[in-house]
Amino acid sequence: MHNPLPLDGTGEKKVVRTAVLFMGLAHLLWLRDTVKGLLFAAVEIFYIFMIPSIGKKLIDLVTLGSPQPELPIKMRDNSIFMLIDGILTIVALIVFFSLYVISVRSARQGYREYCRKKRPMNMGESFSNILSKAFPVIGLTPSFLLILVLVVVPLIFSASVAFTNYSAPDNIPPNNTVDWVGLANFKTLLGGEASWTSGFVRVATWTVIWAFFATLTCYFGGLFVAILLRESKIRLVPFFRLIFILPYAVPSVVSMLVWRNLLNGTFGTINRTLMALHIIDTPIPWLGDPLLAKIVVILINLWAGFGYFMLLATGAMTAVSQDIFEAARIDGASRFQVLRHITLPLVLYQTMPLIIMSFTYNINNFGAIFFLTGGSPTVADSTITSAGGTDILVTWIYKLTITLLKYNYASVIAVLIFLVLAPFAIFNFRQTKAFKEGDL
Amino acid sequence: MKDTLKKRKNYRVIEEINTTITMIIFIIISLFVLYPLVYVVSAAFSPGTGIASVNIIPFGDGFTAKHFVRLFTETLYGRWFLNTLYIATSTSLLTVLITSIAAYAYSRFNFSLKKPFLMSYLILQIFPSFVGMVAIYVILLRINGLDTLWGLVLVYVAGNLPYNTWLVKNYMDTVSRNLDEAAQIDGAGHFRIFFSIMLPVAKPVISFLAITSFTAPWMDYIFPRMVLRSVEKQTLALGLFGFVTDKKNEFTTFAAGSLIVAIPFIIFFLLSQRFMVNSFSGAAVKE
Repeated sequence: MHNPLPLDGTGEKKVVRTAVLFMGLAHLLWLRDTVKGLLFAAVEIFYIFMIPSIGKKLIDLVTLGSPQPELPIKMRDNSIFMLIDGILTIVALIVFFSLYVISVRSARQGYREYCRKKRPMNMGESFSNILSKAFPVIGLTPSFLLILVLVVVPLIFSASVAFTNYSAPDNIPPNNTVDWVGLANFKTLLGGEASWTSGFVRVATWTVIWAFFATLTCYFGGLFVAILLRESKIRLVPFFRLIFILPYAVPSVVSMLVWRNLLNGTFGTINRTLMALHIIDTPIPWLGDPLLAKIVVILINLWAGFGYFMLLATGAMTAVSQDIFEAARIDGASRFQVLRHITLPLVLYQTMPLIIMSFTYNINNFGAIFFLTGGSPTVADSTITSAGGTDILVTWIYKLTITLLKYNYASVIAVLIFLVLAPFAIFNFRQTKAFKEGDL
Repeated sequence: MKDTLKKRKNYRVIEEINTTITMIIFIIISLFVLYPLVYVVSAAFSPGTGIASVNIIPFGDGFTAKHFVRLFTETLYGRWFLNTLYIATSTSLLTVLITSIAAYAYSRFNFSLKKPFLMSYLILQIFPSFVGMVAIYVILLRINGLDTLWGLVLVYVAGNLPYNTWLVKNYMDTVSRNLDEAAQIDGAGHFRIFFSIMLPVAKPVISFLAITSFTAPWMDYIFPRMVLRSVEKQTLALGLFGFVTDKKNEFTTFAAGSLIVAIPFIIFFLLSQRFMVNSFSGAAVKE
């Protein structure tokens, strides 16, 4: 077949136009890249067949269904399914348009190749062309699909729920439908209804205080122990180090539930021991008093977490070059001076990103709170908001979702946590090797 | 001369005092660390049931193995253990396979959308995964994955991907390209290069990944609680939590069950910890 394409590169516009007209058309018509062209065309044909269903799902996403009290429950509109299907549809459309862009780009590239070789591709080249691209496609597809369906879509979904009234008792599908409500939930939580607003402010404040002290105590506790272990001349150092790591190695479900029982106000072992020793006469409500419970939670977290930082600090100190210490010793520095002016600054410098990471981790440290106190004790607004005295935002989200079924408020809180944590995430990102080396 | 002798003697005294003080500090910390652990062991072997009946002196009431017997005869503990083992093993294997092959593709190929993908992985990694709880529930419902172990495995694997792909990709970037280029000249395909060259070379980071993705499901509570509804499908975390709820207080059974999980877990952890520390501090100090 005579090929009408000019070889000097002037046909690029024509190729691109054909590629835009229909996916894969340029590959089939001009470039003779049959395999690729057919694959692209198949994608477009598939989507064309899906158009009616795509349209319906997008409309459903906007309306979220209408109440149909006359129908049996199973046949009513399920707003939540509509919301998720709508999001999936939008994601599928984004995938489609990305493929479209890729197909046009590939056509342009193919044309340039054609100009270079002065002839279109033959069948064998077309196949090997596909095969060389097969590896990244095959390798990335499982990872891409899993992330898309089980990470991205759920996140978009929960962000969207923040703008709906999806909550018990009136808007739980399939019995009733859910509607878009705009920013109403944000208003309620940030200044609308008194008990919700005060509950939110209280929990948010405590979350920050908790994360701050939890990180700080563990960090300096771990650093202190690591320095002592390094400086001491005791032969048993490896043995002690092993003991100190133990709490970090015990699953938090186990250790926190054990502490919860030991600290139980009425029959817990700690109170019974103290009373048997006549140190106290009446039981101490370790987890029953809001303020005391907060202090106890931070202390128990120190128990669970200092081992991790001890390991890190030990690692960081062995990484410090021995020459510096020798030089300092020759200059007549005392051990304390070496510690104060050399070891500490170096270790602090190295572990600083980890403090930030640990802070963001503690903001979301579900296990430490949920298993130890379950969020209790109850405080003034607990009956309405279900947030107890030691609940942090994540455990509150959990309760709002599982017990109160207030999905809308839970989502608002999740969105707010994200907005607050995003700067920290950017900080972490800037610390990564890829960023520093300019790969991205 | 006399002066330096005296100085040396003083120095020795100060050292002695220092050593004694650190020793005391170490012993106090050890007591604080070991206190609850001793009570778990003691409660696991003590005759009573609730925390109230556990003697305040560890092992004060003598030994009994009845809680261990009860775990395997009257509760579904063995079943829970197998479930958890299944979940952890599958999660670990799938995470390693999917992550490393994706990381290899990111590390060695250039393709459209590579940068946007990698960027979005970084952003995704900062969300706490259970924020999307409700949606994951509905999606699993749609694909018949509710109340199944594989459904839970999928959730874990997907959650592991964004961060770990970066981790492994960064490692593979440091591996010299001469290796795979040489193999390519010898006629090896990409799959062959991946399995017989890349995987062995990237062994340190792969084993780190295998360990962390194996241990994480042992402790998780939120997703099993949401996905697994029937009793025989539960995991250890759910089962153990069930022994010490507000309605039920079987602290001694709980302690026995915890002991069976925690002791192999601790041994495994201690064996792998040197390796973990290197990776942690490595991540921190990379220049």
